[in-house]
Amino acid sequence: MRFKAALLLRFLAALALPLPLLAGWLRGEEKERHPVFVGARVCASCHDGKAMGRQATCWCQSKHAKAYASLAAPEAGKIAVWSGIPQEPQEAAVCLGCHATGAEAEDWEKDDTFFLKDGVQCEKCHGAGSEYADERIMKDRDAAVRKGLEIPTLDDCLKCHKEKGSHTAVLKRPPVDVAAGMNLIAHRRPAGERAARPTLPEPPAANHPGSKYTGVMACAECHGAPAMGYQFSKWCVSKHAEAFAVLGTPAAVPIAATMGVQGDLQASIACLKCHTTAYHQPASGGLGSYSVYEGVGCEACHGAGSDYAREAVMKNRTRAAPAGLKKIDRETCLACHQDAHGKPFDHPTALKAIAHPTQAPEVVEGPRYKTPLNVAIRPDGKELYVACEAANSVIVVDAAARRQVAEIPVGGQPADVTFSPDGRRAYVSNRLDDSVSVIDVRARRVTATIHAGDEPHGVLTDRAGKTLYVLNTSDESISVVDAASLKEVKRLAAGRGPWSLALSPDGSRLCVTNQLSRFVKFRMPSMSEVTMVDVKSATVDHRIVVPGANLIQGVAWHPSGQYAIVTLLRTKNLVPMTRLLQGWTITNGLGIIWADGRVDQVLLDEPGQCFPDPTDVAVTPDGRLALVTSSSSDRVAVVDLPRLIGMLRQASQEERETVFPHHLGKAAEFVIKHIATRTSPRGLAIDPAGKTAYVASALDDSLTVIDVRTLEAVGRVDLGGPAAITKARFGERIFHSAKNTFHRQFSCHSCHPDGHIDGLTYDTMPDGIGVGPVDNRTLRGILDTAPFKWEGTNPSLQRQCGARLAVFFTRVQPFTPEEITALEEYICMIPRPPNRYRPVGAKLTEAQRRGKAIFERTRTNDGRVIPKEKRCMTCHFPPLYTDRLRHDVGTRMRLDEVGNFDTPHLNNIYDSAPYLHNGIADTLEEIWTRYNLEDKHGVTNDMTKDQLNELIEYLKTL
Amino acid sequence: MKVRLPQLRILVLGGLVAAGMACQQAPPRLKTEGAPPSAAAVPAAVPADQLPYVYTRWKHFTVREGLPNDHIFAVKADGPRVWVGTEDGLACLDKRTGAIRAWKEKDGLPWRVVTAIDVDKRTGDVWLGLFGGGLARFSGGRFDHFNQLNSGLVNDVVYGVAIEHDNVWAATTAGASRYNVVTGQWTVFTEKNAPMEEIWNYSVSYDNGKVYLGVWGSGCLEFDVATERWKPYLDPDGEMEIDLYRDDGIIHVIVTGASHVDDALWISTYFGSCRYDGRHWRGFYAQETGLPSDFTNNVKGRSSREGWFATDKGLGVVADFPSDTVVSYTRDPQTLRGKATLYRSGKILKVVDMERSVPHNFIISLDIDGNDAWIGTARGLGWAIGTGYYPGLRKGADRRAGRAAEAAAPAGDPASGKRR
Repeated sequence: MRFKAALLLRFLAALALPLPLLAGWLRGEEKERHPVFVGARVCASCHDGKAMGRQATCWCQSKHAKAYASLAAPEAGKIAVWSGIPQEPQEAAVCLGCHATGAEAEDWEKDDTFFLKDGVQCEKCHGAGSEYADERIMKDRDAAVRKGLEIPTLDDCLKCHKEKGSHTAVLKRPPVDVAAGMNLIAHRRPAGERAARPTLPEPPAANHPGSKYTGVMACAECHGAPAMGYQFSKWCVSKHAEAFAVLGTPAAVPIAATMGVQGDLQASIACLKCHTTAYHQPASGGLGSYSVYEGVGCEACHGAGSDYAREAVMKNRTRAAPAGLKKIDRETCLACHQDAHGKPFDHPTALKAIAHPTQAPEVVEGPRYKTPLNVAIRPDGKELYVACEAANSVIVVDAAARRQVAEIPVGGQPADVTFSPDGRRAYVSNRLDDSVSVIDVRARRVTATIHAGDEPHGVLTDRAGKTLYVLNTSDESISVVDAASLKEVKRLAAGRGPWSLALSPDGSRLCVTNQLSRFVKFRMPSMSEVTMVDVKSATVDHRIVVPGANLIQGVAWHPSGQYAIVTLLRTKNLVPMTRLLQGWTITNGLGIIWADGRVDQVLLDEPGQCFPDPTDVAVTPDGRLALVTSSSSDRVAVVDLPRLIGMLRQASQEERETVFPHHLGKAAEFVIKHIATRTSPRGLAIDPAGKTAYVASALDDSLTVIDVRTLEAVGRVDLGGPAAITKARFGERIFHSAKNTFHRQFSCHSCHPDGHIDGLTYDTMPDGIGVGPVDNRTLRGILDTAPFKWEGTNPSLQRQCGARLAVFFTRVQPFTPEEITALEEYICMIPRPPNRYRPVGAKLTEAQRRGKAIFERTRTNDGRVIPKEKRCMTCHFPPLYTDRLRHDVGTRMRLDEVGNFDTPHLNNIYDSAPYLHNGIADTLEEIWTRYNLEDKHGVTNDMTKDQLNELIEYLKTL
Repeated sequence: MKVRLPQLRILVLGGLVAAGMACQQAPPRLKTEGAPPSAAAVPAAVPADQLPYVYTRWKHFTVREGLPNDHIFAVKADGPRVWVGTEDGLACLDKRTGAIRAWKEKDGLPWRVVTAIDVDKRTGDVWLGLFGGGLARFSGGRFDHFNQLNSGLVNDVVYGVAIEHDNVWAATTAGASRYNVVTGQWTVFTEKNAPMEEIWNYSVSYDNGKVYLGVWGSGCLEFDVATERWKPYLDPDGEMEIDLYRDDGIIHVIVTGASHVDDALWISTYFGSCRYDGRHWRGFYAQETGLPSDFTNNVKGRSSREGWFATDKGLGVVADFPSDTVVSYTRDPQTLRGKATLYRSGKILKVVDMERSVPHNFIISLDIDGNDAWIGTARGLGWAIGTGYYPGLRKGADRRAGRAAEAAAPAGDPASGKRR
């Protein structure tokens, strides 16, 4: 009767419903809710006790439960360095991605019962549990799966347990055997046992008036940070944290027997008294955040904390004690440990073992190098300021005494430095921090910090010092900053990778170099840009194209104002790199940018002796000479400018356009000398009198001093770097040296400037011109993304950079084992900058949140189930967003020999355009709008434009 | 009479198509069109000899002067430069010299048809709406192309473009797009997140913290930049081109342009035009005001009292709103001479005959440039030279203005339209 009435009601209601809704409603379907993480303690409410094989108890003692805490270990810090993560591991998304559960989830996706610090919990493998955790659903496997329960396989374990180079290098042990591990964490239930909810007796003093137990996670909010000595993490890996769990182990049974305790020890008041917090001392019960699974937590000794846990109370001893914070003494420990189970107890030793350090552990760092990149001379010529990338500082050098007189801490990875025209201020670009430090020169300290765009590099003011220009190399823009208010007033569009800038002698124009080529059509040569800024209006007034060139970096104006000189590379990326034997691959030279927009290019290479990686240029005040650094051959070339310009003027237009840019025999006509410098000369400056030049020798931590009159290196200014050369530093020198290429044409840095990309697509194999073109990939944070190459055929960096490199790229003897080990170590440590679209701890924007839902979706817009292999998350899962396997996503083109390509990681994907294996997609959008017409690269063609935009907004946050 | 949606869509397309054909034939007449009547009372407070400024000096630019095409879809004054979007190329005219530089696809212009232009005053970048080709940024001689395949732009048929702080707005046939040039974020506005009953966006403009979209079928939508909230201005009469209740709201929901200046919002539709001061609406019909036509392609407000309308039958200027004074500029298709007709409350006050006026009566774009104005027509660009321009009314002023203009024109001035 009731059933019929219900049917009737449904029928009547159905008349008022639209058809699609009606269908679902009649089927009794509910609206799908977004699952949220509930935490291991919720799972434990069923999955523990004898009948359930004490699954939660087992987990408590497992490494999974301590995975978060393990990030506090010194080894974790080293692994982070090897992974290119310049962050605290417990705050780094990449680390938390495997050492915690729900690291990618936002706060709203976590229930109050969930704690990230619980490490790798049930839901890490089984999926967020809010929708399937109900006992009735869980007992129906199919229903639970429909509600989001995931049944992991060995492959799922490999998402985290696949060998990571960084972990192997530091921990010196093989990766986890996941098959054996699966056995170790098997969730077995004793045969014949009937499932029953585990029950605990009421704590004897649960109704005691007074404070309640808050649980250890409340304490961890403040006592977990590095500054507090990782107290929570130290506790987490202590025996105290396992105290409740051990009661469920077979080893506990005979011990209990000696005390006359039998049965379920986890339900025995006698055991719980010393093996848990809540049964320890009288209190009025526990808050929702308390769980017996914490074992012996902070409050077991310090007393129930609900009334003193607040930071304001805790910091005031006179308030904390009356609120319940107990004083700890020997008796506190002896209450449980005296003669416990016949074990001797030495209080001082025990106290030391559980000591609560209140400051960050001392980190034993290796030698801290300086790595000077650029140098600026104070307008009065008395001091030099040197931007030191590795030391996060600017070193002040007395020009007359040629010695360091001060070191000023600035932001992360300082790259360039300049003075205000009056010499009172210095501005330093901080590439890692996206900022500019403003230094009061007299006080020699940073007085302000200006927010800039992504990875600021070049900095310079106008002649009046009213406007500061900052080149944001990663977001292709120029920040125009009002020097009075230190506020950015506008941002101009630069070329790709704006790098350095120089003010014309009359102060009217800025010449800005851009190190990456513009996007060009597939299989077309580079087209790089020199951007001219009109200073009066602070707008871009001309963009000069330098055909065939890339890595245009250094720039200097001739005092006549007739032209500026830029350094450049001419990379022949369209032909196999093995053509190097015939003098191809990369040539190095200068561009002459005439004030009227014309461009000449000449090479600094000579037959058999190249001038690799020309990096910076300076012109003497008399306009006679230009000095050019070659960062990978440790030399400065001296260019006789009248000869160079004369040569150009005497040549025909055709010669200037088609011959000189390729001619290896011309440098001898205008390069009058090469001056040896210390290792890896980068920026240089000539003093206003034109007598002395200073060269920043980046990998020697020094300045090389050059007498401009004699053209001799006359001194070395030691910037105070360590004398010892670590393996990584040795590797860094190899990376930046052209010694290991035929005719010293190029270095690793030539294609991977500063470990990143040059934006080009290369033909790396001698299989025919243009066959198998591959996009150049970033080296930032690369180690854990093995295998390498787009074909995924090189399992290690040593293999990638070993004999193969000699065969296909360098065409000389391969690196020695010592060299290649060092090179690998350096490459691993190239840091991956923090994500610009989602700073640490920041919430997703609404658009990013919607994009995340698209990224994680399992159904199309019209409700069709997306096959697992076509979902974003299947191949691009966190934390690296790659499964490190090869897949055919339908991108094979005519010139490709295979169709399966390595899945690229997606971290900071926004800064490594172009995309896909052959760099065919200039933008993220094109990956799907142009090159996924058959839904092979995920199901995306049902998406609306706004959905695709939001997906991309989310991808940028990874 | 109710106009059905398909009919209106044809009319809308006709706006552009007619521009392409206009030099061959007269623009189509609308059913709603009526000849400007002369019956209306002159406001007592304003004597008939109080007259607005009349533009009597005109210079025309066509392919002969160097424009890439005579069908002028967009014009934007930028200091001494005037950017001109045509059916086949972009041009930049130097007011000082009369020199024109043009770019076609072979010169790097990403798409031949340029339908909208705005200039970012801070960066100097010129943003182009491309009809079928998306958006382009022209900066320092470089064209950057943004389309629905390589960017987050919602659709490639772009009718309007406007700069709002770091954002570039594009009115497209499938919604509006907002691109933040600093963050690179694209946001799409359609029926999902804006009060767009239809998503065919015809125009976009920005003024004083608000973005105004002119939407086919959804009226004018005002977007508050600070709060990110929308405020729709709709026709209270529904989709009727008949204004059942006068001045109760927007004339019609098929809006082609919206221009906010000072405290006034000037709006053009295909069925008349209107003005809103934040409290009161006022509709303008050709038969009541003297404006050349109700079929209005575009609008530009010069001030709260002066609004310019680009129609299919000439240029209409509400020259002094308080006194209901209108100047209608047309060109005689037979004699090719120009004519300015002055109306007050629909009554003809005066007719000024001139050697030239607008280059063609089918007008789709215009811009105000200080005292001057630029008029994009189906047969070239017109430069209305405003020497001696004054706002509002003056006694007998049009004659003085005309004489001042004559006196100010130097010998051989390329702008004068004739040799001396």
